[in-house]
Formats: sequence, C-alpha cells, structure tokens
Amino acid sequence: MDLSLAPEFDQLQNPNGAQDADELYSPPRLMDNMSDATVTLDAIEAGDPKAAEQLLILVYDELRRLAASKLALEAPGQTLQPTALVHEAWMRLVGDRNPSFKDRTHFFCAAAEAMRHILIDRARQKKTKRHGGEYRRVDFEDLDLAASTADDQLLAVNEALDKLALEHPVQADLVKLRYFAGLTNEEVSEVLGISVSTVKNYWVFSRVWLLNEIQDE
Amino acid sequence: MKGDSNREIAIFTEALKVSPRERASFLQRTCGRDEDLRRKVEALLKAHSRLGTFLEEPPPGASHD
Repeated sequence: MDLSLAPEFDQLQNPNGAQDADELYSPPRLMDNMSDATVTLDAIEAGDPKAAEQLLILVYDELRRLAASKLALEAPGQTLQPTALVHEAWMRLVGDRNPSFKDRTHFFCAAAEAMRHILIDRARQKKTKRHGGEYRRVDFEDLDLAASTADDQLLAVNEALDKLALEHPVQADLVKLRYFAGLTNEEVSEVLGISVSTVKNYWVFSRVWLLNEIQDE
Repeated sequence: MKGDSNREIAIFTEALKVSPRERASFLQRTCGRDEDLRRKVEALLKAHSRLGTFLEEPPPGASHD
C-alpha cells in the first residue's frame, strides 16, 4: 500500500478553499486522533472494507511522529525502540477505551505493519546515502560493509514477507509482530489468540520459510 | 488454502522432532502422494539446518527493549 496517499488534511478541513469559509460555515472539525482510532476500530468490526487501511494510516502517522520526536532528542545514528513506540501509540490512540480482543489484534497488527514500513524506509534511505558517498568509506569501510549487508538482508526479508503473507497470512502477521514491532512470544500469543507454544512453532517455521525464500534466488 | 498452510506447518514442526535418519520415511507417511508438499517440507528442513540466529536480532535501526 502506498501510504503517501493519505488524505490531505488541509483539504478535508477546508474543502472549498474559501478564505472566509470559517465565518460563513464551520465545517465539522476532524476528531482528535484517539476518537479517530476508536471509530475506525468500530468500523472494522462492522465490516467496513476501507477501515483497515484507515487504521494503518492513522497508526503509521502516529508512530512516525513519535519516532521523529524520540530521534530528535538523541545523537545521530541512534536506533528506534519499536516495542516502546508501539505501546505508546496504543496508549495514545486507544488507551482510555476498554478494548475488545479483536481491537487489540487489529491495532497491533496495523502497528507492526507500520513499524515495518518505517524501518524499511530508514534502511532504504541509508542505502541511498551510502551510494551517494555521504559516509567516509575509507575510514569506515568495514563498518559500512557490515551495515550495508544488514540493510540488504532486511530489504530481502521485507520482500519475502509479502510472499509469506500470500501463503501463510497468520505467520506473516506473527513475523511483523515479533520482528518489526519487537513483541515477546507472550504478547504475540495474546494479540493473535494462539498459545505460546504455537507462537514458538510458527516463529521457527516462518524464519525457516523466509531464509529458504531469500537464499533460493 | 488455509488447510494447506496448516498441514505444511504441522508436518514441518513434527518432522523437526523426528531424527534425521527417520525423516524420509516420516515424510513418506505424512505427505502420501502429495509430492509438492513433500518437496516444500524437505526444502524447509534443509534451510532449518542453517537457520542459526536468523531474525533473532532486532532489524537494523531498531533495538528491542
């Protein structure tokens, strides 16, 4: 999905572009993000086919904002803490509502997918910068090579994961939750409603499946 | 589709518990005439032997807390 297709919020708030629109007519204001998220979760429950995409966009925006504010406080070259970010987004977007099991499932799967997008974007950006010679290759050749290999592997895993999702959708969700969102086996078990031992079995299967896929080319 | 997915995972997971010497006959029994399934599981079992810590570390750019 192309997340850059998110609706233009300015246009939504002022659809006619009229300067004095506010004086003549007050368009309904966008709800705050928390009620947006709960409304969207209810819409998913009610079977609205667009709602899952809306939830993903909402969660993605929130996570990106949270990540940017965390990174702004730290030194360059820092890492993100997906688990903390995902839990913070949950508190901010759904926190004061009494969530159903399905709400949790929808939310955390969307958050894991969003985290995946964020980390993949960062890996792609790093790769572009590296090719642009932004890093000093002579001094950091080994480090650069190791980082480059890790990023390439991540991008390969990302592609293979789409194929896994076609054949084994539950297991692909599990990989997103464990690997990209950093949830523990116990948390994944709760989110997906399967036993911890099943999570462990699926996790081994999925890792093997992905390894076989990326080495099979 | 879902049944196929579950079957592949179940046979793979059980095969890991069987000693390598007995795996061929185990797959013969469980996959029956489904050659495609047997080949898939065999490829996975091969990949399993080089799995190491693949995906056990957080992705680059992330740390798990």
